Amino acid sequence: MNKTFISFVVFVVTMLVFHNVVFPIMNIKEFSWVMNPYVYYLLIPITLIFINITLRLKPPVSLIALMVWVLGFYFYKYVLYPPIPWTLFITYMVMWSIGTFLYVSQDANTFREFRSPIVKTIIGEYKIARIVLFALLPVLVGWMTYQSIYPTFQEPVELRTVHPAPPATTKVHGKTWVLETSRNPYRVDEQDNYKNSFPFLDADKNEYMKNVTEGGSLFFQNCHYCHGDQLNGIGMFSHVFNPTPANFIDPGTIAMLRESFIFWRVAKGGPGLPNESTPWSSAMPPWEEHLSTEEMWKIILFEYWYTGWHPRTFDTEESYVGQWEKEGKPGGAH
Amino acid sequence: MLGKQTRRYGTLSLALVMAFAIYLMPAFVTDAMAKEAYAGQAFAEEAFAKEVLAEEAAAEGEGEPEIEWGQDVFYKDWEGNPLKGPVSGHPAPELGESDYNNYEFAPSRMILWMANQQHLYFGSFVLAVPIFCMLIEFIGIRTKEEDPIMSAKYDRLAHDLMKVSLTAYSWTAILGGILLFTFITLFPGFFKYMAGIFRPVMHVYALMFLAESGVLYVYYYGWDKMSADPFLKWIHCSLSVLLNLIGTVLMYLANSWATFMQAPGGIDEQGRFLGNIWHVIHSTLWNPVGVHRILGNIVFGGGIVGAYAAYHYLTAKTEEERAHYDWVCYVAMFICIFGLIPLPFAGYWLMKEVYAFRQQMGITLMGGIMAWLFIIQAVMIGLLFFGANSYLHNGMSRVKGAHRYMKYAKYMILLLIVCFTMWMTPHTIVMTPAELKAMGGAQHPIVGHFGVMSAKNTAVNLMITTTVLCFLLYQKANKKITVPWQTIGNCWLTAIFIGAAINIIFLGVYGYFLPANVRVGLSVPQVTTTLTTLFVGTAINISMFKDSESYGEIQWGTQSKVGTYAIFLLAISFTWLMGLMGYIRSAVRLFWHVTEVVRDNSVDAYTLTIGEAGKMLTFNTLFVWTQFVVVFWVASLTVKKGAAQEPEAVPVPAQQQQ
Repeated sequence: MNKTFISFVVFVVTMLVFHNVVFPIMNIKEFSWVMNPYVYYLLIPITLIFINITLRLKPPVSLIALMVWVLGFYFYKYVLYPPIPWTLFITYMVMWSIGTFLYVSQDANTFREFRSPIVKTIIGEYKIARIVLFALLPVLVGWMTYQSIYPTFQEPVELRTVHPAPPATTKVHGKTWVLETSRNPYRVDEQDNYKNSFPFLDADKNEYMKNVTEGGSLFFQNCHYCHGDQLNGIGMFSHVFNPTPANFIDPGTIAMLRESFIFWRVAKGGPGLPNESTPWSSAMPPWEEHLSTEEMWKIILFEYWYTGWHPRTFDTEESYVGQWEKEGKPGGAH
Repeated sequence: MLGKQTRRYGTLSLALVMAFAIYLMPAFVTDAMAKEAYAGQAFAEEAFAKEVLAEEAAAEGEGEPEIEWGQDVFYKDWEGNPLKGPVSGHPAPELGESDYNNYEFAPSRMILWMANQQHLYFGSFVLAVPIFCMLIEFIGIRTKEEDPIMSAKYDRLAHDLMKVSLTAYSWTAILGGILLFTFITLFPGFFKYMAGIFRPVMHVYALMFLAESGVLYVYYYGWDKMSADPFLKWIHCSLSVLLNLIGTVLMYLANSWATFMQAPGGIDEQGRFLGNIWHVIHSTLWNPVGVHRILGNIVFGGGIVGAYAAYHYLTAKTEEERAHYDWVCYVAMFICIFGLIPLPFAGYWLMKEVYAFRQQMGITLMGGIMAWLFIIQAVMIGLLFFGANSYLHNGMSRVKGAHRYMKYAKYMILLLIVCFTMWMTPHTIVMTPAELKAMGGAQHPIVGHFGVMSAKNTAVNLMITTTVLCFLLYQKANKKITVPWQTIGNCWLTAIFIGAAINIIFLGVYGYFLPANVRVGLSVPQVTTTLTTLFVGTAINISMFKDSESYGEIQWGTQSKVGTYAIFLLAISFTWLMGLMGYIRSAVRLFWHVTEVVRDNSVDAYTLTIGEAGKMLTFNTLFVWTQFVVVFWVASLTVKKGAAQEPEAVPVPAQQQQ
């Protein structure tokens, strides 16, 4: 029997066996170092290589390319968990396809070998393949057409921007804050100095932890319903919002931003978002209507303390210590 | 003979390193000088201010003070207070309807965008070609004694490129004129303000253009005459250095207008000029934009020359022609890839400075309204690296002895794809509410980690390191290393690359646990690691070629079609990418002509949708390539005439000779 055909059959059978038999065994709820879907996935190519070498099948480049492509598809579609959105799936598959193409076109001989069955099918040397292909093509087009015109009732996707661009200044409770220079008046030092202290427990021991504790209390009174009691954006109401509330644990949110930016966001909420990139669809209320300036700064202090992130600073900025105490007014306000 | 072989490689590397050093020097020197000048300036101005204030105090009661002092919007004195300067210009105008003109067929902004972009494309090309010519002519001179045929070949190539550049030079000047008239006619109010501030710079710019033309004509028309005598030939080569220096100054002067618009300095809040023209020129983004553009020009020029050669290679009728253009493709791609490798680092520097200037601007670019364009940029950069690697793989595969290394190609491709996947995974993913629910949150627990800079820096550094490795393997493809220390050398090479990969990945992962401002600093050791693989790896590699034997010479004219098409991909992608990044850099000002100073009150003060911007970029790319085809055709008219005088031999280039 044709070795290429055997190799193809081996591939199909291996995939079916792995997907239907091995996958349910290894994809258990509690991941371990061995029993997890990623180890399972690595076993597939290892098995395929092993069988092909043992049987001396030497599949042609075109078949190897097909296997590589299908393995990529399988990974992104079934193995990667939780499932990725369609847009990301398409992006990844385009990249995987480019990679497969780079592989088959790395030199003239490989590319010739890769093209050969395609050309032979088109010119009719592989008669059955041509009949099957040309019979399947219209069916495939018809199916895709059907899929695309079949009505769906999903909310359309939105190209949401990650961070709104802040204004140069913002007015909160009658004071104008310059975002470029405003500081958290309660930030006395880098929090590493307090890493052995805890809010609530050590609130009476020093001023800093007292402020963090107050911020924490306010957070749990006002914010945790949406942002979560672990500050991970999964609060009890979070699931009904799109976009979901910000996840402060994520290194791409507060860790990347200055405190003045957070202050502006907290104070102005969804209604205060800039005109560009609308609609923002943010459900966050403008907290300046419910909290005082001091309370908002303390909440921010707590958010950084809890997540362990440091507010974003730039090279030229010096550390600042209790500006309110020194100047008798909030830092940066005028 | 084999000693000479090493020297040839040494010459080539030395030439490239020198060229880079020379072209990066203005930025660093000006930066250093600027700091000194700044220190001196600050003291002088303070002393001056005291003097003037003392005079004013002495003359108190005799009327209003004669000199009004303004506070700089950007520069600060030693204590961190805004630097003061004597008000020497008019305030920025509040532009109204009468300050803008328009045609009915297209918005003024689009017309200006097109005029600007076309001029920039051509400007970039004509600035890049002299860099090529300088390098190629230098290599030609250095190889003359060892290999006269090859030397003549290099010299002829440099001459031919200059011929094309000459036509393109006039074209650039015409496009510059069109751009100027577009500014004056469609945005007169804005241009009046800019001209008021940059008046002396504009005149110096015009004079530099004159100097550039003069040197260019002497350089080109004196080519044959000065080639006869070795001393004169060196003078001729020096002219190319001068030409490049003038070109660089020209570009830096023109850059100052754009960087001033984006991040102004040297003026007060009302937009009044504070008397120091250097402050206005040397605004905060001036140096990073300059270095980024020099590198970009080299890649762009390499892409165009490569595409030109690739076209001729594919349509060549004789073996000789095929061999020639295959070789030209190689030279162009060599220079192009050499420029491509440090380009992302210059981009990081620029972005760092943008963030330092205004957090708001940085966020608008990377996380706000321009963020999706940055995702597109990531795709285009990936395509560039794919194109470059595809060319290298295909180029390597036709070299005898390359079979030893071709087996690694698939692993390098896999690494590239994995890195590229990380590189372009967006932080915020486009998804439906159902997908959001299925994923359990806005961030994916695994691929969500790829959305931040730690992952992206790691990915791009690994991609570059892989490209460097591919290039080193290409260099040694047909060499049978015979030096006694070859095992040690190979071990060192392996150690450098594995060490680099470990270091880059470690720093990337470590970055997740650090504050953002410290994390940004990690990109420096990552970049240093990557550049170490480039320079140390190349040096060790070349040293190992001493006394090497050859598996066989490269058969020029046998490059595969896929490898040749990769050059087109690279050239077109880069053109589009240049337009995209130019648009992003410019559009980030949003509704300002000059950030926070001159407001754009025209009807065009809006940000385009991604689709509209994409159409415009595609149009600009197609339009400029149409023009390039015309320019190359015009230049080819004289080539055909002189074709009979071309040397018939098709020599083997220095890299592949034994």
